[in-house]
Amino acid sequence: MRLLILAIVVTITLAVTSLFVGVSDVSLGALLSSHPDDRPMQVLLISRIPRTLAIILSGSAMAVAGLVMQMIVRNRFVEPTTAGTTESASLGFLVITLLAPGWPLMGKMLVSAAFALAGTALFLRILRAVPLRDAMLVPLVGIMLGGIVGAATSFIAYRYELLPSLLAWTMGDFSGILRGNYELLWIGLACGVLAYIAADRFTVAGMGKDFTTNLGLNYQRVMVLGLVIVSLVSAVVLVSAGSIPFLGLIIPNLVSLMVGDNMRRTVPWVAVMGAGFVLACDILGRVVRAPYEIPISVVVGVIGSAIFLYLLLRTRRHAA
Amino acid sequence: MKFTRTPALLAALVAGALAMTSLTQAQEIVVTHAQGETTLPGVPTKVLTSDWAAFDNLHALGVPVAGVPASNAPSYLQGFVAADALQIGSLFEPDFEGIAASGSDLYIVGARSREAYATAKDILPTIDLSIDNADIIAGIEGNLTKLGEVFGLQDKAAELNAALDAKVAEVKAAAEGKGKALILVTNAGNLGVYGPDSRVAWIHNQLGIPSAMENVKDGDHGGDSVSFEFLLEANPDWLFVVDRDAGTGESTGAAAALLDNELVNQTTAAKEGHIVYLDPQASYITMHGYSGVMLLLDQVLAGLNG
Repeated sequence: MRLLILAIVVTITLAVTSLFVGVSDVSLGALLSSHPDDRPMQVLLISRIPRTLAIILSGSAMAVAGLVMQMIVRNRFVEPTTAGTTESASLGFLVITLLAPGWPLMGKMLVSAAFALAGTALFLRILRAVPLRDAMLVPLVGIMLGGIVGAATSFIAYRYELLPSLLAWTMGDFSGILRGNYELLWIGLACGVLAYIAADRFTVAGMGKDFTTNLGLNYQRVMVLGLVIVSLVSAVVLVSAGSIPFLGLIIPNLVSLMVGDNMRRTVPWVAVMGAGFVLACDILGRVVRAPYEIPISVVVGVIGSAIFLYLLLRTRRHAA
Repeated sequence: MKFTRTPALLAALVAGALAMTSLTQAQEIVVTHAQGETTLPGVPTKVLTSDWAAFDNLHALGVPVAGVPASNAPSYLQGFVAADALQIGSLFEPDFEGIAASGSDLYIVGARSREAYATAKDILPTIDLSIDNADIIAGIEGNLTKLGEVFGLQDKAAELNAALDAKVAEVKAAAEGKGKALILVTNAGNLGVYGPDSRVAWIHNQLGIPSAMENVKDGDHGGDSVSFEFLLEANPDWLFVVDRDAGTGESTGAAAALLDNELVNQTTAAKEGHIVYLDPQASYITMHGYSGVMLLLDQVLAGLNG
């Protein structure tokens, strides 16, 4: 508990730092000495606070979604970007953008979430047919499924000459976040809370279908709840900021190493560390080449793949 | 009689043969281009290109083009593509089999299709008209001159070059003392800045409009990624915008909607109405074509005077 409070303090420190990092001069002194209508306060309200909130919301939501997914699939190496969920969400977003470009973002997001749901359900369906549930085979199946869905998406985008736009949507980037265009991400927070409320059910479901049924829980219903949470989170994050690779994988794994697998205990940890990790990466991306930026997906991708490799090799050593 | 005629006949034959060889020698055309030298046996009659800028230049010179890329035709060129023109693959991946089967005698690659040169040069005479983004106007003029020599249209090429020079001078004069600018590229909600090595670098390099920001290094597709805050701080007097979504097919207006926000509206450029939307296809797809650049120059001029 004391450690968790420490993690929260670190994350809050990062969040406050994030408010003061950027091209414009926004410092405590400037804020206090200037009129509220002046530039520092305006930049803080219009750009910095929304961006910081967007990072916290999507970081924690993606990490929790990864955790939920690992519970329902019962595999440590699964998360929305390695199970075809994010790719399906992009496909849905592309399809609805082509069919109904004028729809409000909320509507597009829901279509995107529906595709994500279908894609993830398909993934679970394929897993059921895979005879040997080797730990490495499960993410491999997911990555292959994601590859197929991604290929279909690229093909459609290519036909309609939307490839660069597709690349730009799917590339995670918080530089465009302003007041008024990030608010969908609050749905991610709602999903996180839902995951926390249902945490015990997911923990039980993580022990298998028979075990769950023996305890008198409706296994199917828990699975569907998990799928809905994962799909909604993937869709809101994709639509608002783009995809953030590996996040849902590394954070739950690191937390599991630290505090174990009881989801009621791990959800707050995963949420706080997810937010803190993305905050740190985004601040790094803003500082390295200031005043230009490095997109979050690049920073998280580089650091995340290093941690992913470490986790993989570590498991190998334990297995051997 | 017999003796007197034969040497004369022989002399005539020899003279004729000599004339013919010298004639074929005169017809041979050596083109020096971005990837080496190509020798053409004569003035090409059937020309293919995988580059819309090359199409643009050929069209400006009045040379018919027998084969064009299968996609991405800029709208301002669409009416000029012959109905029976062959489609020879995408901008990046030419259809070599179709090119080989077409019986053409010149194939032109450039910018995106330059990689095709290595393969194409063994199939038919190929030239690469890629040019350096840092000096686009001189590059276009060089290409027009080169094509003018290949097709014996030197006068037409000189005429086009003079018109281009005149237009650049006119816009340069109009831009003098009008302040600093940023060239923005918008892409699915993200912003990038194009620098002095980019595909629209001529705005800074040739028109003499200084950049509102020093050290924009990026010359790549999406520009250097920036935030709206960056625009607010750089506070340019002018914004030239390349709407990349529109440039590659998506409906126009996305950039205008993106830039209409609380932060951008505080910049001098937005307050003064100095945001100029460039023809996305001319600035993003053709870049190095004569009529495309003329169109862009006119748009910049209209913006500056408007």
